[in-house]
Amino acid sequence: MLEAVNISFASLNIQTLYPMLIAISGALFILCIDLIKSGLNKSMYVMIALLFLALDLGAVLDFIGVFETTGAVRGFFDVMLMDGLAILAQIIMIVASMLFILLALTKQRFNEYRYPEYFALFLFMIAGLQFMVASDNLILVFVGLETSSLALYPMIAMHNRRNSFEAAAKYFTMGALAAGFFAFGAMILYALTGSVEIGVMAASLAATGIDTSSMIFIIIATVFLLAAFAFKLGLVPFHTWTPDVYQGSTAALAGFMSIVPKLAAFVVAIRLFEFLMSTGVLWIEIMLYAIVVLTMTMSNIWALVQKDVKRMLGYSSISHAGFVMAAVLIGTTHANTALFLYWALFAFANLGAFAMLWMTHEKVHDRVSDDAFEKFSGMIKTSPFAAVMMALFMLSLAGIPPFALFWGKLYLISSAVTGGYIVLALIMALNSAVAAYYYVKIIVYMFMKEPVGTNDYTVNSSTVLKTVIGTAALFAIASVLAVSPLMEFVARMVYNSGY
Amino acid sequence: MIDHILSILIFFPLVAGVLGFMVNKDSFRAYGIAVAGIEFLLSLWLWYAFDNSNGGFQFVEMAALVPAFGISYQLGIDGISLFIIIMSTLVTFIGIASLTETRNVKNMIITLLVLEMTMVGVFAAMDAILFYVFWELSLVPMLYLIGAWGGPKRVYASIKFFLYTFTGSLVMLVGMIFMAYLYQQATGQWSFSFTEWYRVVLPMNYQLWLFAAFFLGFAIKVPMFPFHTWLPYAHGQAPTIGSVILAAVLLKMGTYGFVRLSLPLFPDASVFFIPLVVVLALIMIVYTAMVAYAQEDIKQVVAYSSVSHMGVIILGTFALNIEGVSGSVFLMIGHGIVSGALFLLVGVIYDRRHTKMMNEFGGLASVMPRYATIFGIMMMASVGLPLTINFVGEFLSLLGIYKVSMMYALVGGLAIIVGAIYMLAAYKKVFFGNVTKRENENLPDVNRTELYALIPLTIIAIWLGVYPKPVLDPIDRSVRENVLNIMYQKVNTEMGTPEARALISDPYAIKETITAAAPEAKKHAAVAHHTPEAR
Repeated sequence: MLEAVNISFASLNIQTLYPMLIAISGALFILCIDLIKSGLNKSMYVMIALLFLALDLGAVLDFIGVFETTGAVRGFFDVMLMDGLAILAQIIMIVASMLFILLALTKQRFNEYRYPEYFALFLFMIAGLQFMVASDNLILVFVGLETSSLALYPMIAMHNRRNSFEAAAKYFTMGALAAGFFAFGAMILYALTGSVEIGVMAASLAATGIDTSSMIFIIIATVFLLAAFAFKLGLVPFHTWTPDVYQGSTAALAGFMSIVPKLAAFVVAIRLFEFLMSTGVLWIEIMLYAIVVLTMTMSNIWALVQKDVKRMLGYSSISHAGFVMAAVLIGTTHANTALFLYWALFAFANLGAFAMLWMTHEKVHDRVSDDAFEKFSGMIKTSPFAAVMMALFMLSLAGIPPFALFWGKLYLISSAVTGGYIVLALIMALNSAVAAYYYVKIIVYMFMKEPVGTNDYTVNSSTVLKTVIGTAALFAIASVLAVSPLMEFVARMVYNSGY
Repeated sequence: MIDHILSILIFFPLVAGVLGFMVNKDSFRAYGIAVAGIEFLLSLWLWYAFDNSNGGFQFVEMAALVPAFGISYQLGIDGISLFIIIMSTLVTFIGIASLTETRNVKNMIITLLVLEMTMVGVFAAMDAILFYVFWELSLVPMLYLIGAWGGPKRVYASIKFFLYTFTGSLVMLVGMIFMAYLYQQATGQWSFSFTEWYRVVLPMNYQLWLFAAFFLGFAIKVPMFPFHTWLPYAHGQAPTIGSVILAAVLLKMGTYGFVRLSLPLFPDASVFFIPLVVVLALIMIVYTAMVAYAQEDIKQVVAYSSVSHMGVIILGTFALNIEGVSGSVFLMIGHGIVSGALFLLVGVIYDRRHTKMMNEFGGLASVMPRYATIFGIMMMASVGLPLTINFVGEFLSLLGIYKVSMMYALVGGLAIIVGAIYMLAAYKKVFFGNVTKRENENLPDVNRTELYALIPLTIIAIWLGVYPKPVLDPIDRSVRENVLNIMYQKVNTEMGTPEARALISDPYAIKETITAAAPEAKKHAAVAHHTPEAR
């Protein structure tokens, strides 16, 4: 006879689930609307999704006050963990998603936006990503990872081009492999410590101590987990899918993929590698170091030779991911603060760049390259304002002061210096110099070449798109004023979470 | 208003440039000239309001930007930066006034105004990050200037320029962050402020590494041998105005950086690196002078001669004594005026013939007498004829380096003679002899606009050559106070190396020994401070 399990509802602390529940109910709501009346315009769904994201954001923002007074909140059988990292990551992800979903309101009509399911999937994905960051339980992380990934694959395929099917299939197979790696790595850690919660694992390992056999197991687990994250984040040498998938997706979705899901993976990586590095196994640090340096350098070199702007931005986002992975390697509070600061600034710069690509997107079926560099030739002559905007985002991505990403780079490099990684700091600096070449290349095409053909750069523009781009541009320029409060807020959240 | 004059001076061109988008294309030249003129007058007012008897920083502005990380908006000028700022605004003003470009004049002038903002910003910044922001930002307008209005290989030249400088300065950025980190280790607080950094006495091994990091950034900008390869391309492809600004102002950022940062922050490392830096500077002087002699293109002659003279500036700076450093700062101003004028003069002939090859000319002195006269004066100023502006700077720089080593001064002095050879040879090829080409027979002489642009520069070149005191005195005072005195204080702590102690003398002691009447006092001072004479 089983004993009755008595759990008071209050102890569940169900409000830790509110943000995700809002997103999920938003998705279900959209599906219900479609059941009742089909054929509604995409703008309606976009706004519904936006409203639910706003509610979601509100629920997350609510936790800032709670976190600052009582510290990290656990809930739902202690699998949920709302600490500073979770809150920060959710804020950045939701704000970025709100801006990216607006990119659906284009002048031209695209296949995927005809389906309300697209927007439902979008919200499911956000919920999955939120679960990923708001937990230190590897099983819940896995569930969140899979929810978000499985929602993302069809979204790519819904673009209804041959390239998109290829991209979705490629992403799916790679994602499945990564999920397998993740599960295997987590399994080894569970076998070693008897827990799936990172905090408990660390305590258990600290209690038993590490001998040679457990060290080998930890290294194997790290290899698998690192490979899983490297797939998700597109780190070299597990990056090969990234440019293809970006090229196959719409610019709007590619931009989204380069920012939001990666941040969720970074947060899990911070939690996990903080623990793994604290075991004191030297090989873990060496592996991470190698991956960081390889990612930054190789992707930069590949980006140099790209002929398609979207592929180039794909490689560039790999390189940025490598940069930020360096923060995970360094692992100090300074570095983790830099990670969030960098990613928040990067989100706006990349949003702007991809939105500009999206604005120039022509509706042509099955062309090999949608965004060749030549497309931007002489843009300053034909649409000067758009050219200036694009140049602004490129300079920002290149880290030219005083535009947004410079401050992130500055802080990240300084975290490498204070963490004792001077060589890494130099490698980062030199990589920024290499990266400048391919960003400047677009500027060269736009400002120094003659226009070819009759390109309409604003073929896809709408007031909403222009507003999004304007917001991103404003942020890129005025970031110098935003950096100080942002940095203090992030530092407080990260420090109080104990990272 | 006088409290914020530096902010006004920095951001006035930017605001004017942004507002300029609304100005009609046809009236844009006048708008540009007006804005640059106002900016120049503002900088003259700065000089008027400047307290000549004070060697420290003046017009200091301070506002925290990122307090947690020690970044602040801190501005201030002393005698070193004051005249470079005035020279920048003057050269920009004259450059815009004498603009002959017809394509996209509006975009060009707006670019020039943004560039002017970054130039004034670099020289007025007293916070390393602010300095770096303006330093890097100056690359973008210059990239556009060369890339959009340049010659056939303009894209290659502009990207080469951009990447070279960007790489060097990123290494410098790591150095700056490390310097701030060391400051944080010492005091518990982050700071990027120059005045705060000046207080830090660093151990020798840190000094060496940091000096190397800063050196890379500055040396590429100067450009020192072997990092000079971007410059001939940039000059060769850039439009006239681009070359003028590049040679007159942008290169000075590098030498200014040495004086403002490398010397006072890393005095022992500066002394340690004297042999290396001086040898590089000598190679730069001699080698580029020889290269200049071999050029067919008159603009390249001017470009290489400009690099060669930058070497003399480095030579003076690393003499690490009052004559050398003051002389090199003065030479920066002289070089700005003279090389700016020479590039303008090359532009004049290029506008008429659309070629810069010297064998296309010959006998121009009889066709264009006024042009030949002005060119002659400027060329003499360039080779350092006494009573012209460069003579003062070159003489002082060489005097300074002579006190360090006679050999250095000898080689450097010889190079100046080589400089005279190639300049005179080029002058002879272009201006003397018979008019060989028919196209040259009816070339119009300099017109009124060109004359208005060139005459002021000529007057300055002669005026400051004859009577450099009003400029040299404030420079002298600030070099003593903000460079040499800081170095002297630092090398005389326990961390200072004996070599540095032997070389760097008390900047205030020399003056006292001269004015003191009693022989005992003089002897005492000489023994106490190990002046080079005493050795």
